[in-house]
Amino acid sequence: MTLTEDDVRGIADYARIALTDEELKEMCAYMNEAIELLEPIRQYDLTGVAPTFHPIGDLSNVMAPDLTNANGRSLDLDDALKNAASSRGRAFRVPSILGEEGGDR
Amino acid sequence: MEELTRLSAAEIARGVKAGSFSAREVAEASLAAIDVREGQIQAFLEVSADLALAAADATDAARAKGEELGLLAGVPVGIKDNMHLLGTHTTCASRMLENYESVFTATCVQRLLDQGATPVGKTNMDEFAFGSTTESSAFTTTKNPWDTTRVPGGSSGGSAAAVAAGEVPLTLGSDTGGSIRQPAAFCGVVGMKPTYGSVSRYGVVAFGSSLDQVGPLARSVEDVALCMRALTCAGRDPLDSTSQEVGVDFTAEVKRPVEGMKVGVIDALMEHEGLTDEVIEGLAHAREALEDQGVQFVTVDLPNIASAIAAYYVIGPSEAFSNLARFDGVRFGYQEPNCATLAEQTALSRAHGFGAEAKRRQMLGAYLLAAGVYDKYYYPAQQVRTLITADYRHAYEFCDAIMLPAAPSVSWRFGEVSDPTQMYASDLFTISNNIAGNGGISVPVGFGSASKMPVAAQLQGPAFADSSLLRLAAALERGIEGAGLFKSNAIATDNSRGGER
Repeated sequence: MTLTEDDVRGIADYARIALTDEELKEMCAYMNEAIELLEPIRQYDLTGVAPTFHPIGDLSNVMAPDLTNANGRSLDLDDALKNAASSRGRAFRVPSILGEEGGDR
Repeated sequence: MEELTRLSAAEIARGVKAGSFSAREVAEASLAAIDVREGQIQAFLEVSADLALAAADATDAARAKGEELGLLAGVPVGIKDNMHLLGTHTTCASRMLENYESVFTATCVQRLLDQGATPVGKTNMDEFAFGSTTESSAFTTTKNPWDTTRVPGGSSGGSAAAVAAGEVPLTLGSDTGGSIRQPAAFCGVVGMKPTYGSVSRYGVVAFGSSLDQVGPLARSVEDVALCMRALTCAGRDPLDSTSQEVGVDFTAEVKRPVEGMKVGVIDALMEHEGLTDEVIEGLAHAREALEDQGVQFVTVDLPNIASAIAAYYVIGPSEAFSNLARFDGVRFGYQEPNCATLAEQTALSRAHGFGAEAKRRQMLGAYLLAAGVYDKYYYPAQQVRTLITADYRHAYEFCDAIMLPAAPSVSWRFGEVSDPTQMYASDLFTISNNIAGNGGISVPVGFGSASKMPVAAQLQGPAFADSSLLRLAAALERGIEGAGLFKSNAIATDNSRGGER
């Protein structure tokens, strides 16, 4: 199966990566080449083989008490906002998500 | 001052503890070496002179007060730029994080600091660790100190080059598919990817979460063992659910004899068409050196290893796509200005923040995880991972470790390999170990007869048997004639300039 430029455009939309027409062409060629490299995976009869999603089988999740700053590692507000390109008050600032009437740009 | 940069990490820690020299003198020597050599090598993205001198002064003050000093007292260290260190930027060599200031310190970095290390800076890498040459860094091109027309390898290319160039004796790298072992091989230094779970990844920017592991690069096996001890002696890290208790003193293990140990070789791999004569010769040399010390070689087989590249390039990009979804330009990272909608802002921030290879890997991952495609590649790749892991387990019933190349050739010249999928194929000898979660170490064993570039042998071992690997690696280092070459600084030109300072 070969991916078309339309397929790749759809994947780029899903991955939230805008591609120029030129980039789309290159990406399409790359993806088809890369998928070819993956072909050995499809040559196996894997009936009855369990998957290994992780090298360590018996992991348990890390839990902390449900308290504010329970582990003493919460970021303070300034640190949390320090790397944001755009913030206001105590919040990250983003463009409208509800159309022209919904935002405050 | 120059002499101090020729010392190993172990020698520095001993000297600082004994008062032969101060941590500040060592820090200043390292910073001076960086000053002289960076013009040529460009291993660092950021030099943290203030942090380094403050840490060194704290070490000297602790000694003056009679306090017990740590394992890495006064040892200058470089940190790969995907690890957080408060007071530095953490860019992952990406425009996406060009201005990102760390707001906390990664556990692996903190543990080195807790043992008295002196943090001199953040090292260059392939963008988000996607690559084998460090050429995909958005900021600078790191050169191989043995020949500056050649790549240092990658993705931890800056960490390998900084050590080879004598800028620092010790660095941290991360290895998702060979990113510590391959640059170590290319730069003629020792590099270890410990067993998955040995070292905490808390505070390390994630690439492939079921594959990533942090490890040391240094000019000797002893220093790698010392750093492994520093990284693990405080026990498991509750902040990383994959972190495991290791409970081994690696520094004691390296000194044990290797007589009677068994090392496996895989004939099919050694006949691989892409493998160069220089590497084959290097491995033969390494085998002799170990045989002379009573190591027995046996033939083993990993029947599914030929599929490791395919499995890796399903699992790695899929996990990368998932991990890098957090870069949406809102909470941190590059944000495209003047966008009308959030969707547009996200797509353009990612388009302009990420470089070409980062986009390729994420696109591939996005495709592989899509409904309908998942069952064709992702799920079967995880089943093939089961087979590869079982192959290793079976092989290790007959040997303590497997010896194989770290890379099919010595370091290549800039631009020599530019096709992405051709580049992926060069990972053959390292990635199966990440898939299985086992440990591996790359040790220099000589120079190529034609290229005059460093050649390495790689030793791989069962999970949580990293101390056996270090034992064998130390024996290899002892047994190779002229191994001491790798402990001297790579660049000759600084000799003429040394007198000026």
